[in-house]
Amino acid sequence: MTTAPRPTTAAPRQSLRTEILEARPVNLDGFVEEWPEKGLVAMESEFDPAPSVRVEGGQIVELDGRSRDDFDFMDTFIANHAIDVESAERCTAMPSAQIARMLIDPGVSRDEVLAVSRGLTPAKVLDVVKLMNVVEIMQGMQKMRARRTPANQGHSTSARDNPIQVAADAAEGALRGFAELETTLGVLRYAPMVAIALQVGAQVGRGGVLTQCALEEATELELGMRGITAYAETISIYGTESVFIDGDDTPWSKSFLAAAYASRGIKMRFTSGTGSEVQMGNAEGKSMLYLEIRCILMAKGAGVQGLQNGSISCIGVPGAVPGGLRAVAAENLVASMVDLECASGNDQSFSHSAMRRTARAMPQMLPGTDFVCSGYSSVPNADNMFAGSNFDTEDFDDWNTIQRDFQVDGGLRHVREDEILAARNKAARALQAVFAHLELPPITEDEIEAATYANSSNDYPLRDVLADLKGAQSVMDRGITGLDLVKGLESAGFHDVAENLLTVLRQRVSGDLLQTSAVLTGDFTPLSAINDPNDYAGPGTGYRLQGERWEQLKKLRHVTSSTNPETEVG
Amino acid sequence: MTTPTATAPDRTVSLREVGPARRGTRPDEVVIALSPAFAGHFSKTIVDVPHAEVLRQLLAGIEEQGVTARLVRVIDTADLAAISHTAARLSGSGISVGVLSRGTTMIHQKDLPRLSNLELFPQSPLLDAPVFRMIGSNAAQYAKGEHPQPVPTRNDQMARPRWQAKAALLHLKEFDCIEAGRDPVEVEAVFSRGTTG
Amino acid sequence: MSASPPPELTTADYPLSINRPELLHTPSGKPITALTMDAVVSGELSAEDLRIAPETLQLQAQLADASNRPQLAANFRRAAEMTAIPDDEVLAMYNALRPRASTAAQLAELAARLEGTYGAPVCAALVREAAEVYARRDLLARPVADSDQ
Repeated sequence: MTTAPRPTTAAPRQSLRTEILEARPVNLDGFVEEWPEKGLVAMESEFDPAPSVRVEGGQIVELDGRSRDDFDFMDTFIANHAIDVESAERCTAMPSAQIARMLIDPGVSRDEVLAVSRGLTPAKVLDVVKLMNVVEIMQGMQKMRARRTPANQGHSTSARDNPIQVAADAAEGALRGFAELETTLGVLRYAPMVAIALQVGAQVGRGGVLTQCALEEATELELGMRGITAYAETISIYGTESVFIDGDDTPWSKSFLAAAYASRGIKMRFTSGTGSEVQMGNAEGKSMLYLEIRCILMAKGAGVQGLQNGSISCIGVPGAVPGGLRAVAAENLVASMVDLECASGNDQSFSHSAMRRTARAMPQMLPGTDFVCSGYSSVPNADNMFAGSNFDTEDFDDWNTIQRDFQVDGGLRHVREDEILAARNKAARALQAVFAHLELPPITEDEIEAATYANSSNDYPLRDVLADLKGAQSVMDRGITGLDLVKGLESAGFHDVAENLLTVLRQRVSGDLLQTSAVLTGDFTPLSAINDPNDYAGPGTGYRLQGERWEQLKKLRHVTSSTNPETEVG
Repeated sequence: MTTPTATAPDRTVSLREVGPARRGTRPDEVVIALSPAFAGHFSKTIVDVPHAEVLRQLLAGIEEQGVTARLVRVIDTADLAAISHTAARLSGSGISVGVLSRGTTMIHQKDLPRLSNLELFPQSPLLDAPVFRMIGSNAAQYAKGEHPQPVPTRNDQMARPRWQAKAALLHLKEFDCIEAGRDPVEVEAVFSRGTTG
Repeated sequence: MSASPPPELTTADYPLSINRPELLHTPSGKPITALTMDAVVSGELSAEDLRIAPETLQLQAQLADASNRPQLAANFRRAAEMTAIPDDEVLAMYNALRPRASTAAQLAELAARLEGTYGAPVCAALVREAAEVYARRDLLARPVADSDQ
């Protein structure tokens, strides 16, 4: 104490091995202890209510230990709309272990499980999935996923909101297999131009791919109503009344909005996820999964066809507590076991560790979900305006290899370079024609060349942003619709692209895409839980990766030929 | 991506209450509003920037514009917009800077709606000493009726995996320090050398 | 509205665009098969022709019922009613349902308008239910303007 202060950082000596471990990327991730009293706990909390339900006069009068007088608005909505009153008492009285067994027993059909799950309270659902380990959760998912054929969804955005980039990347993404593509903006006023680019690019890559533009409700709905986008998903719901109100909504306002989308023929799903309530400081002392189950049942009650969940933008919270990813896998299962389309997360930057990023996706990728990622970044993460995804363009070959290794269908495939270049070039040219037709700021030959070979937004000539923003405003002012895009494409000789887009627009009139888990196949057949129901009944049944699709997924960038090992097949 | 490291001098700060916060009359003042656990239950931000350093930089940024600063603590809420707006209404210039314990910061103005703001710095892990100084400077310029360039915001996609859960935990702890019904108090910052050795 | 009673659909009729195109019409009465490229190019089609008709939503509601999805069917029935409401008013109604956005009287008025002007009893019932819950949970607008600041 008497010597002059020295810069003493005299930490105890570390082993060389510890130094190596300290430097591993996983140690950049954040981990915290549980705090169940505040809801900072994944799914095992003594503060969650015990299941109970009582029906009087055709109405649920007690739910999970609360009587109707004490219901908050989530309880009320779930009791009034989500739970089947006829079977509630009988189903909730069944032993949880029996229901959990039904979920994994291949001898019990999906429909038989649904006959029970529709009568369960939120606490009862939690009680059931708490009995399941992660392998059992995956088994359950394999059977309970609504659509038999799994699919994937991509993000197509640009750090500069460059519409040419979005069109080219959408075309490549569609070609690689995404059934749905989603964009959003840095500068919101760019939205109409970028949404047009996404739609045109997607229809170049593969006719029938559905597109959306995530914005605030009014503009998102308007772009949908005009046929510039085809579906919507960023309609957030929350598991406690107080957080729901903080989001300036209620279960009734969101239900009204759900019907508004359907009334315009637009496919829509809600978004929720574990961790959002505790992140906002109002978990009311309940576990993350219990609150998420309330969201899932609220979505069910609203009559929306599906839900994007799997923590989504809060993944850092469950990702930091013990058992967090088990809870995330469980929330996807619960969405599926109450018969909702599930777009299952894996859509936000999650870990510094490549090993952990991969492991995070296995409970969705291996059993298959309606959309394994609710946003695989089909642009480099630096261009991802959803703040980065768990996977991006650099991971394409790894993803394809994992599909091939395990013979699982994660919705993507390897595509040859020449096909990709052709699609990117055509998308940029098609957009050039549409912009010319609509008298929007022109797209130059340099930009088309750049789009053909680019990786990121840095590889494109800079746009005149002010001119583009004026153009974007004029798209709104002039009331441009999807039909104008069709006309522009047709008149410039892009007949196939024009026909693809018109067919997507025509689907709106039929309403077929409003049914649960609906997507459009390459030959424009609506494929939903009605005509492609998951019929898994044990080994050898359900969706199997085989035939032509398996041949597609056997292809990788580099595979040595067995006929002539001095060459590669491709 | 890198996150700022605390290279600040080894100083600590405590806040001494000097009475109820009053409405200022000087048009050349900025009120800095501190959250319930700032320089109390907590002593540093989410990335270990000492609260002493946060305050020192904010004050320096304000003073270098020839504007005076006044400190208050808001005790009955941990909501940054509410803290900042309360302080803006106490400020003679109508300009305030609100700071949460974990570092999240906002510049507010009394005539704006509570849920709006002049500048918001939501990503607490990316706020280091130079940023706090620029925030102080900008707040002072607003107080003088100028229109400064907003402080450049940073973005780090890997902040989520690293900091999201800790931020939630710090938020919950700050909530625990709320004393409902207590009015804001005027405080003095008492800086001292850290006690090491 | 339509003269003939709607057919009884089963899940085998899905997708309607492929299996039952003869049932599908635009709100302006054109058959879905009239939505061709020729019609687009010649300017016969307007954006109005690419909207869904209330009758189609009722058909999709039948399919949802037939596949054991009563909540989805109810959503389609509300949607069928909403096809009559102009875009701006739909959004205004949604905003009116946000927390503390409307008084009890305003919500009652909204329900009455849905029922009276738009023949939308299912939507009206949803609004009335909301009004009852909002009253109990302190989510109605306070009649006097907030005096804060």
